[in-house]
Formats: sequence, structure tokens, C-alpha cells
Amino acid sequence: MGEINKSKHQSQLISAIKNNDSVVLKSLYTSNYNKIELLVLRNSGTKEDAKDIYQDAFIAVWNNIKNNTFIPVNERAVQGYLYTIAKNKWMDILKSSRFKKTQYGFSNPSLVDKSDYVEDVTDKNLENEKLVSTMEAFKILGQPCKELLTIFYFEKKSLRDIAIQLQIDEASARNKKYRCMEKLRNMVIAPK
Amino acid sequence: MKEKSNISQELLETIECYYNNSMDRDDRIIFEKKLQDSPEFKEQVEDIKTMLLGIETQALKEQLDDFHKEIPLEKNKIRFLQPLKIAVAAAIIIAFGCFWFFSGSSNQKLYAKYFTPDPGLPTTMSNSDDFEFYDAMVNYKHGDYDKAIQKWQVLYQKQATNDTINYFLGLAYMSHDKIEAAKPFLQKVTETKKPFPFLSEAYYYLGLAYLKEGQIELAKENLGLSNTEQSQKLLNELKN
Repeated sequence: MGEINKSKHQSQLISAIKNNDSVVLKSLYTSNYNKIELLVLRNSGTKEDAKDIYQDAFIAVWNNIKNNTFIPVNERAVQGYLYTIAKNKWMDILKSSRFKKTQYGFSNPSLVDKSDYVEDVTDKNLENEKLVSTMEAFKILGQPCKELLTIFYFEKKSLRDIAIQLQIDEASARNKKYRCMEKLRNMVIAPK
Repeated sequence: MKEKSNISQELLETIECYYNNSMDRDDRIIFEKKLQDSPEFKEQVEDIKTMLLGIETQALKEQLDDFHKEIPLEKNKIRFLQPLKIAVAAAIIIAFGCFWFFSGSSNQKLYAKYFTPDPGLPTTMSNSDDFEFYDAMVNYKHGDYDKAIQKWQVLYQKQATNDTINYFLGLAYMSHDKIEAAKPFLQKVTETKKPFPFLSEAYYYLGLAYLKEGQIELAKENLGLSNTEQSQKLLNELKN
């Protein structure tokens, strides 16, 4: 974990997470998984369960940092928070009618609204129906649009960078981005 | 999300600014006033915000699967073994241990034979914009890797996608024997979509990093993607 060293300021960590810095996210992701896997394996789960629960927890943590629900003082705080959320999620699954092998992503209502945990800030806004349908639509959006929207909205590159990367001019990058958003919106409004 | 196409390009871009907190104060006040006054406008804005979050969340989700492949293998697995099994396991471990010990040390030897820090870029100090970058380069060339890393890390905060900064940060960490820290930066360089003059070198050093960690397959894969003479030589040695 040398790259997120302790001297790195809180604000740097937070802004790196908010900007989806892939080095920081990857390092957080890969260095905290094993603890969760061990927890799930020791509590009647499989590796697959561990991966699913961990990814849901990771997205919840990322989202809570993004919308300032959770403001970590340092990287250790993020790790602790991630562990707690993953653990709570796994406990929920264990409690839910001996976890039938159904999908229990964050879209599953059975996981919603169990606010009997002190630390569990419910990832409410991740359970929103529109959000789920946007995600579904984005998943199957055609590759060129998906790439462009990912670079712009996720990697947060400027239109100028995108124009260079895709070898088009800035104005067409801008128009293309708008058209792709319209395409995605139409898919969300009227799913096929 | 109701009727189609009632969101213009301008409105989309305004909402983006609002979502990214990049709107200036006056515009924000006007915008928020409109949000209060018009429920219809508010709904449009909420819809777009949800879409933006959806795109980001799905993009992250897909990236997590890639991250997952790079999780270091778990060492402390839970096992319940019987004595006989333990004895057999011990014998196997000792046998393999010897193997690992020797193969491990040969990896280290190869690494030591092939690793020489990149000589760096000439520091002409002409362009004041690049002053900080070249200032760190001077430290790097003097072998003062700690200082170089510190300075480049500051630049990295501002330009995380700059391939040159990533490349030299990776190199500085590697020269400082911090392989684990070096890898993500080199990885980032190799994933770049822009033409980058040191791409082959980046693959070469990434291959070396994996070699040092004993991950031979990954080492070979990366060396194979590099077209420097050194990497081909090393690749041949690894195959023998």
C-alpha cells in the first residue's frame, strides 16, 4: 500500500476517490478483499458470495464518500468502514431466510431498510429504481457510446482530452456525448 | 423519466456543472432558485443526476471485476487437517519449499541482472510549466528517489493521467525497491490509449516487477508486449 501512504492528506484521498482515480480505487479494492473473503468463508458462504458482497459494499462506500455521507479521516477509516458494511451485508443475507441462492445485489429490497446497525448508512440512493435501470441500460449500451460516456463521466477527462484520444475535434466530441446521453435516456425511458 | 428529448444540450451541460460542483456562485443561486420554483425542472435535474450516477456506478462495477483479478492470493486459509494429512502436506511443502527457494532466488538474480533504472529525461529547465517535473527528475537522476517520488506524487494529484509522470513515478518506486507501489503506475501507463514513447519500456519494467515477485507468467506476458532488446533477451532466459 505504498502508493496511498499515510502522509497523504485526507482531502487528497477523498478527492482521489471522488475522481475515480483508478490507482487509488484499485489499491483500496485489492488490499481489503481477503479479510472479507475469510469472514464469508468462515460463515457458510462461498468465494462467489464473498466477491458479490464485497463489490456491493465497495460501491456503497464509494457512493457514500462521493455524496459526503461518509468523510473518512484517513485510509484506515475507509478500510474499517468497508469491512463493517460488507459484514453487515453478509449478516443480512445470512438472516434472510437462509439465503436462498437468489441475486442479492443492492437492488434487492430485502436488504433495504434494515437500519438496526449503528454503522450501516443505508445506501438508499443506490436502490433507486431509475438508477438500476440506468445501470442496466448503460451495461448494454453500444461500445462507442459506452466508451465515450465512461471517459467523460467516470474517468472525468475533459472534452479536449477525449477529442485527442478519439481523434475527433472537440465540437464533435461534445455533440457525440450529447447524442449518447440521449440514446441512453431513451433506453431508460423505453427499455426494449 | 418522462417525455423524450425535452432536455437540451445546454441544459444537460448546466446540470453536469451543478453535479460536479463546478458552477460559479451566482449561477448556482439562480439554478437552485429555479429548482425550488419549478417541480418539473427539479424532476428533470434529478433524472439527469440519477443517470450520471448510474453511468458512474456501472462503470465502476465493471472495473471492479478487473481489479478482482489482481487480488494477491490469500495465504491464511482455514483448514481442518488430520495428522496424516498434515504429515503428507509437510512433506510436500518441504519439497516445494526447496523448489521455490531455488527458483525464487534465480528470479531475484535475473531481476538484479536486468534491472537498471531508466536514465531519465534530459533536464533542460527551459519551460517553467515543467519546472516541478524536471526538478524531481534531477533528484531521480541523483538517486534521491524519496524526494523524486514526493514531488511527482504532488504532480500526480493534479495530472493522474499523465503517462510521463506515471512512468517515472513507477520507475522511482522500482529503483527504490518498492515494487508493490511501482506496479499500479506502470500498469496505468501500459493501459494508456494515447501514443506514448516509453510504452515498450513500461511493459519491460512491469515484466521485471512481476519477475521480482515470482509471478513468472505475468512477467512473460508483459515482457512479450515490449519490443526492447532487453526484454526479448530476458524472455529467452525465462523460457530456458
